[in-house]
Amino acid sequence: MNGHPTREEDFDLYALGALEGDEKQAIEEHLSACANCARKLAEARGRIALLAFAAPAVAPPPGVKERLLREIQSGTARAEETYASKPSAAERTPGFFSDWRNALVASLAVAAALAAIFLTTENAQMREQMNSLRASFDQQKKDLAEAREEAEMFESRETRMVALAPMPGHAMTARVLYNAKMGMVMADVQAPAAPPNMAYQLWLMPKNGSPISAGVFNTAENGASMWMADVPKGTEPMMFAITLEPAGGMPHPTGPMVMTAKTS
Amino acid sequence: MQRIVQRDESALAELYDRYAGMLSSVLNRILRDTQAAEEILQDIFYQLWRTSSQFDAGRGSLPGWLAVIARNRAISRLRRKNPAAGEELAENTVIVSFDLETAISRQEIMSRVTAAVSRLPKEQRQALELAYFEGMTHSEIARHTGDPLGTVKTRLRTAVETLRQSLKQ
Repeated sequence: MNGHPTREEDFDLYALGALEGDEKQAIEEHLSACANCARKLAEARGRIALLAFAAPAVAPPPGVKERLLREIQSGTARAEETYASKPSAAERTPGFFSDWRNALVASLAVAAALAAIFLTTENAQMREQMNSLRASFDQQKKDLAEAREEAEMFESRETRMVALAPMPGHAMTARVLYNAKMGMVMADVQAPAAPPNMAYQLWLMPKNGSPISAGVFNTAENGASMWMADVPKGTEPMMFAITLEPAGGMPHPTGPMVMTAKTS
Repeated sequence: MQRIVQRDESALAELYDRYAGMLSSVLNRILRDTQAAEEILQDIFYQLWRTSSQFDAGRGSLPGWLAVIARNRAISRLRRKNPAAGEELAENTVIVSFDLETAISRQEIMSRVTAAVSRLPKEQRQALELAYFEGMTHSEIARHTGDPLGTVKTRLRTAVETLRQSLKQ
């Protein structure tokens, strides 16, 4: 292929890996010399990458994150150990015999010290390890339950999304996912920090009954805040609203409304 | 990403929390093997940690790149091949025109992609899924389905064009 691919979808077919033989070779030869087409391919890769979302949703497996963090910690420790074990020129002693004798004395001393430490602390360490393992197990169970609940919410056909509109004078955006049957609300807000001693509060206004708090929040340095909240199951919202309240939140809305959205 | 370059483990944990679900889904769909999917998932984030300084944000989307690498590795494992050449950070720029950083935006794009794929005629959808999830080329799809090669090419071309139009901002 001397010229550019004639059809835009050629880039997508290439990114998909469907092309072969001459078709594949021709586009590869052209891409290596054409920055414009290389960019089109990068965009096609991005589109094809989104097909990952067509896969049935699976919650991340429990334990992988912990193993990953242990792996990077041990990798760092290995690197430091390797560096520390290299003796400097000043540390190297001149004679073979003195090296050997010093090494033997040092080894015996270290072995004796380690044995003493081992014997006196073995029980305490085992208890500590057991407690640590139990805590880690409990945390993993909790994380797994939360991840399952989150995945279930995303997959549910009954999950709805509403975008809240700001009241005049407030530059902020907010989206809320809710599932009345599961009693779950997930919110994603971009807003300036609340005034001193104040916080934002999200309210679910049910068709019947008083407003229900779905989270008190303030935004982080980047203006973002995201959280999940439980509300009574079966509560059908008529609208969502965000108000400014005293820090810590209030049992009922008292402050000015800054964002709202009707759900139907 | 800058925090990962500076060896901030909590930043890697945050990225894991954000994208591990998306990657687990595609890895499990391709491999249908939970253990192999877990291994690849851990490897991808470990590689990100080790080679983070090579990732230049100006070159593309991190979640897009993660999805491309996950698919490449899963298909290589499925077909018992070494990972495809050219998957290195600098050589595999991926541009995604959507925000994939928040759970809600990912949910939105998931709905959009799922709807676009489910609206495709059955034969086009099958061709697209065989190419994406099984890593099949045109002629491999034709052998698998028993359809003429030209028919398969037309179906897949139409499917990716429909997808392209559906994902226009």
